[in-house]
Amino acid sequence: MPESDGYALSLTRKILRFLMVLNPVFAFLILVLLIASLIWESWVMTALGVKSELDSTKLIFAMRTIMVLGIAAAPLVQVVLKRLMAIVESVDSGNPFVLVNAERLKTIAWSLVSLEVIHFMIIVVAKGASSQELPIDIDLKFSFTRWLAVLLCFVLARVFEQGARMRDDLEGTI
Amino acid sequence: MPINVKLDDVLYERRMTLTELSEKIDITLANLSILKTGKARAIRFSTLEAICKVLDCQPGDILEFTK
Repeated sequence: MPESDGYALSLTRKILRFLMVLNPVFAFLILVLLIASLIWESWVMTALGVKSELDSTKLIFAMRTIMVLGIAAAPLVQVVLKRLMAIVESVDSGNPFVLVNAERLKTIAWSLVSLEVIHFMIIVVAKGASSQELPIDIDLKFSFTRWLAVLLCFVLARVFEQGARMRDDLEGTI
Repeated sequence: MPINVKLDDVLYERRMTLTELSEKIDITLANLSILKTGKARAIRFSTLEAICKVLDCQPGDILEFTK
Protein backbone atom coordinates (compact mmCIF):
# COMPACT_ATOMS: atom_id res chain seq x y z
CA MET A 1 0.00 0.00 0.00
CA PRO A 2 1.41 3.45 -0.93
CA GLU A 3 2.51 5.57 2.04
CA SER A 4 -0.05 8.31 1.28
CA ASP A 5 -2.88 5.73 1.33
CA GLY A 6 -1.65 4.40 4.66
CA TYR A 7 -1.60 7.95 6.01
CA ALA A 8 -5.14 8.62 4.68
CA LEU A 9 -6.42 5.45 6.35
CA SER A 10 -4.72 6.27 9.61
CA LEU A 11 -6.19 9.80 9.52
CA THR A 12 -9.66 8.43 8.67
CA ARG A 13 -9.43 6.02 11.61
CA LYS A 14 -8.53 8.87 13.97
CA ILE A 15 -11.38 11.08 12.67
CA LEU A 16 -13.87 8.21 12.96
CA ARG A 17 -12.76 7.41 16.52
CA PHE A 18 -13.16 11.08 17.44
CA LEU A 19 -16.62 11.27 15.85
CA MET A 20 -17.67 8.04 17.56
CA VAL A 21 -16.99 9.74 20.89
CA LEU A 22 -18.40 13.11 19.85
CA ASN A 23 -21.72 11.73 18.53
CA PRO A 24 -23.01 10.20 21.80
CA VAL A 25 -21.75 13.28 23.68
CA PHE A 26 -23.86 15.51 21.42
CA ALA A 27 -26.84 13.17 21.79
CA PHE A 28 -26.45 13.33 25.57
CA LEU A 29 -26.24 17.14 25.48
CA ILE A 30 -29.44 17.32 23.39
CA LEU A 31 -31.09 14.97 25.90
CA VAL A 32 -29.98 17.23 28.76
CA LEU A 33 -31.38 20.22 26.85
CA LEU A 34 -34.66 18.37 26.29
CA ILE A 35 -34.99 17.45 29.97
CA ALA A 36 -34.01 20.99 30.99
CA SER A 37 -36.65 22.40 28.61
CA LEU A 38 -39.25 20.30 30.44
CA ILE A 39 -38.09 21.28 33.93
CA TRP A 40 -36.94 24.91 33.42
CA GLU A 41 -38.95 25.72 30.32
CA SER A 42 -38.84 29.51 30.40
CA TRP A 43 -35.13 29.66 31.26
CA VAL A 44 -34.12 27.27 28.45
CA MET A 45 -36.40 28.94 25.92
CA THR A 46 -35.05 32.37 26.79
CA ALA A 47 -31.51 31.00 26.42
CA LEU A 48 -32.50 29.66 22.99
CA GLY A 49 -33.74 33.12 22.03
CA VAL A 50 -37.50 32.58 22.36
CA LYS A 51 -39.13 35.84 23.47
CA SER A 52 -41.27 35.18 26.55
CA GLU A 53 -43.91 37.83 25.78
CA LEU A 54 -45.10 35.96 22.65
CA ASP A 55 -47.21 32.80 22.63
CA SER A 56 -44.58 30.19 21.93
CA THR A 57 -46.42 26.94 22.72
CA LYS A 58 -46.23 25.73 19.13
CA LEU A 59 -42.58 26.73 18.83
CA ILE A 60 -41.62 25.03 22.10
CA PHE A 61 -43.37 21.83 21.01
CA ALA A 62 -41.55 22.00 17.65
CA MET A 63 -38.18 22.55 19.34
CA ARG A 64 -38.74 19.57 21.63
CA THR A 65 -39.76 17.44 18.65
CA ILE A 66 -36.58 18.50 16.84
CA MET A 67 -34.56 17.58 19.95
CA VAL A 68 -36.18 14.13 20.07
CA LEU A 69 -35.45 13.66 16.36
CA GLY A 70 -31.88 14.79 16.96
CA ILE A 71 -31.47 12.18 19.71
CA ALA A 72 -33.05 9.53 17.44
CA ALA A 73 -30.50 10.34 14.74
CA ALA A 74 -27.54 9.67 17.04
CA PRO A 75 -27.73 5.82 17.04
CA LEU A 76 -28.02 5.90 13.24
CA VAL A 77 -24.93 8.09 12.96
CA GLN A 78 -23.15 5.72 15.35
CA VAL A 79 -24.08 2.75 13.12
CA VAL A 80 -22.66 4.58 10.08
CA LEU A 81 -19.43 5.43 11.92
CA LYS A 82 -18.96 1.91 13.34
CA ARG A 83 -19.53 0.21 10.00
CA LEU A 84 -17.22 2.68 8.27
CA MET A 85 -14.56 1.98 10.89
CA ALA A 86 -14.93 -1.77 10.31
CA ILE A 87 -14.50 -1.25 6.55
CA VAL A 88 -11.40 0.89 7.10
CA GLU A 89 -9.96 -1.83 9.38
CA SER A 90 -10.65 -4.49 6.75
CA VAL A 91 -8.77 -2.36 4.18
CA ASP A 92 -5.93 -2.13 6.69
CA SER A 93 -5.83 -5.91 7.09
CA GLY A 94 -5.57 -6.23 3.30
CA ASN A 95 -8.90 -7.99 2.78
CA PRO A 96 -11.61 -5.45 1.93
CA PHE A 97 -13.42 -7.45 -0.76
CA VAL A 98 -15.48 -9.62 1.55
CA LEU A 99 -19.25 -10.04 1.64
CA VAL A 100 -19.46 -8.63 5.15
CA ASN A 101 -18.22 -5.27 3.81
CA ALA A 102 -21.01 -5.27 1.21
CA GLU A 103 -23.48 -5.83 4.06
CA ARG A 104 -21.83 -3.01 6.03
CA LEU A 105 -22.19 -0.64 3.08
CA LYS A 106 -25.86 -1.58 2.69
CA THR A 107 -26.40 -0.88 6.40
CA ILE A 108 -24.66 2.49 5.98
CA ALA A 109 -26.84 3.29 2.96
CA TRP A 110 -30.08 2.44 4.82
CA SER A 111 -28.92 4.40 7.86
CA LEU A 112 -28.25 7.40 5.59
CA VAL A 113 -31.75 7.02 4.12
CA SER A 114 -33.18 6.99 7.66
CA LEU A 115 -31.11 10.07 8.54
CA GLU A 116 -32.46 11.85 5.46
CA VAL A 117 -36.01 10.96 6.52
CA ILE A 118 -35.30 12.40 9.99
CA HIS A 119 -33.81 15.45 8.28
CA PHE A 120 -36.98 15.83 6.21
CA MET A 121 -39.13 15.49 9.35
CA ILE A 122 -37.10 18.23 11.04
CA ILE A 123 -37.63 20.48 8.01
CA VAL A 124 -41.41 19.85 8.17
CA VAL A 125 -41.57 20.49 11.94
CA ALA A 126 -39.38 23.61 11.72
CA LYS A 127 -41.26 25.09 8.75
CA GLY A 128 -44.59 24.31 10.41
CA ALA A 129 -43.69 26.08 13.66
CA SER A 130 -41.56 28.88 12.32
CA SER A 131 -43.15 32.32 11.96
CA GLN A 132 -41.93 35.86 11.33
CA GLU A 133 -42.16 36.74 15.03
CA LEU A 134 -40.71 33.45 16.22
CA PRO A 135 -38.49 31.98 13.51
CA ILE A 136 -36.62 28.70 13.93
CA ASP A 137 -33.17 29.55 12.72
CA ILE A 138 -31.87 26.17 11.53
CA ASP A 139 -30.14 25.75 8.19
CA LEU A 140 -32.33 23.06 6.67
CA LYS A 141 -32.20 22.59 2.94
CA PHE A 142 -32.66 19.67 0.61
CA SER A 143 -29.23 18.38 -0.32
CA PHE A 144 -28.71 16.61 -3.61
CA THR A 145 -25.19 15.65 -2.50
CA ARG A 146 -26.47 13.67 0.51
CA TRP A 147 -28.89 11.67 -1.62
CA LEU A 148 -26.07 11.09 -4.09
CA ALA A 149 -24.01 9.71 -1.18
CA VAL A 150 -26.88 7.31 -0.38
CA LEU A 151 -26.95 6.10 -3.99
CA LEU A 152 -23.17 5.81 -4.00
CA CYS A 153 -23.29 3.58 -0.90
CA PHE A 154 -25.85 1.24 -2.50
CA VAL A 155 -23.77 1.06 -5.70
CA LEU A 156 -20.56 0.49 -3.71
CA ALA A 157 -22.27 -2.30 -1.75
CA ARG A 158 -23.03 -4.04 -5.05
CA VAL A 159 -19.44 -3.46 -6.24
CA PHE A 160 -18.13 -5.02 -3.02
CA GLU A 161 -20.51 -7.99 -3.45
CA GLN A 162 -19.19 -8.60 -6.97
CA GLY A 163 -15.61 -8.01 -5.84
CA ALA A 164 -15.99 -10.54 -3.02
CA ARG A 165 -17.37 -13.15 -5.43
CA MET A 166 -14.57 -12.51 -7.92
CA ARG A 167 -12.01 -12.82 -5.15
CA ASP A 168 -13.53 -16.11 -4.02
CA ASP A 169 -13.37 -17.40 -7.60
CA LEU A 170 -9.78 -16.25 -7.96
CA GLU A 171 -8.82 -17.96 -4.72
CA GLY A 172 -10.34 -21.19 -5.99
CA THR A 173 -8.46 -21.00 -9.30
CA ILE A 174 -5.45 -23.26 -9.63
CA MET B 1 -19.80 -30.97 -9.67
CA PRO B 2 -20.11 -32.90 -12.99
CA ILE B 3 -16.47 -32.19 -13.87
CA ASN B 4 -14.27 -34.90 -12.34
CA VAL B 5 -10.54 -34.49 -11.94
CA LYS B 6 -8.71 -37.71 -12.78
CA LEU B 7 -5.26 -36.48 -11.84
CA ASP B 8 -4.80 -39.34 -9.38
CA ASP B 9 -5.35 -41.96 -12.09
CA VAL B 10 -2.88 -40.33 -14.52
CA LEU B 11 -0.32 -39.91 -11.75
CA TYR B 12 -0.69 -43.61 -10.87
CA GLU B 13 -0.23 -44.62 -14.52
CA ARG B 14 2.93 -42.49 -14.75
CA ARG B 15 4.14 -43.76 -11.35
CA MET B 16 4.52 -40.18 -10.17
CA THR B 17 3.61 -38.63 -6.84
CA LEU B 18 1.76 -35.36 -6.38
CA THR B 19 4.85 -33.89 -4.70
CA GLU B 20 7.01 -34.71 -7.74
CA LEU B 21 4.43 -33.15 -10.06
CA SER B 22 4.20 -30.02 -7.93
CA GLU B 23 8.00 -29.63 -8.09
CA LYS B 24 8.05 -30.12 -11.86
CA ILE B 25 5.25 -27.67 -12.69
CA ASP B 26 6.10 -25.21 -9.93
CA ILE B 27 2.68 -25.21 -8.29
CA THR B 28 2.33 -25.68 -4.55
CA LEU B 29 1.38 -29.09 -3.25
CA ALA B 30 -1.54 -27.50 -1.41
CA ASN B 31 -2.98 -26.11 -4.64
CA LEU B 32 -2.46 -29.38 -6.50
CA SER B 33 -4.23 -31.21 -3.66
CA ILE B 34 -7.18 -28.82 -4.05
CA LEU B 35 -7.25 -29.62 -7.76
CA LYS B 36 -6.88 -33.37 -7.20
CA THR B 37 -9.72 -33.52 -4.68
CA GLY B 38 -12.04 -31.59 -7.01
CA LYS B 39 -12.31 -28.62 -4.66
CA ALA B 40 -10.91 -26.11 -7.18
CA ARG B 41 -13.37 -23.68 -8.76
CA ALA B 42 -11.36 -23.19 -11.93
CA ILE B 43 -8.13 -24.21 -13.61
CA ARG B 44 -5.87 -21.92 -15.60
CA PHE B 45 -4.88 -22.96 -19.13
CA SER B 46 -1.24 -22.47 -18.08
CA THR B 47 -1.69 -24.96 -15.20
CA LEU B 48 -3.42 -27.47 -17.46
CA GLU B 49 -0.72 -27.04 -20.08
CA ALA B 50 2.04 -27.60 -17.51
CA ILE B 51 0.36 -30.72 -16.13
CA CYS B 52 -0.23 -32.15 -19.62
CA LYS B 53 3.36 -31.41 -20.63
CA VAL B 54 4.86 -33.15 -17.58
CA LEU B 55 2.45 -36.09 -17.58
CA ASP B 56 2.48 -36.32 -21.40
CA CYS B 57 -1.28 -36.47 -21.66
CA GLN B 58 -4.31 -34.58 -23.02
CA PRO B 59 -6.61 -32.29 -20.98
CA GLY B 60 -9.32 -34.91 -21.43
CA ASP B 61 -7.16 -37.41 -19.56
CA ILE B 62 -7.17 -35.09 -16.54
CA LEU B 63 -10.74 -33.77 -16.69
CA GLU B 64 -13.92 -35.70 -17.28
CA PHE B 65 -17.51 -34.51 -17.65
CA THR B 66 -20.19 -36.74 -16.13
CA LYS B 67 -23.95 -36.20 -16.33
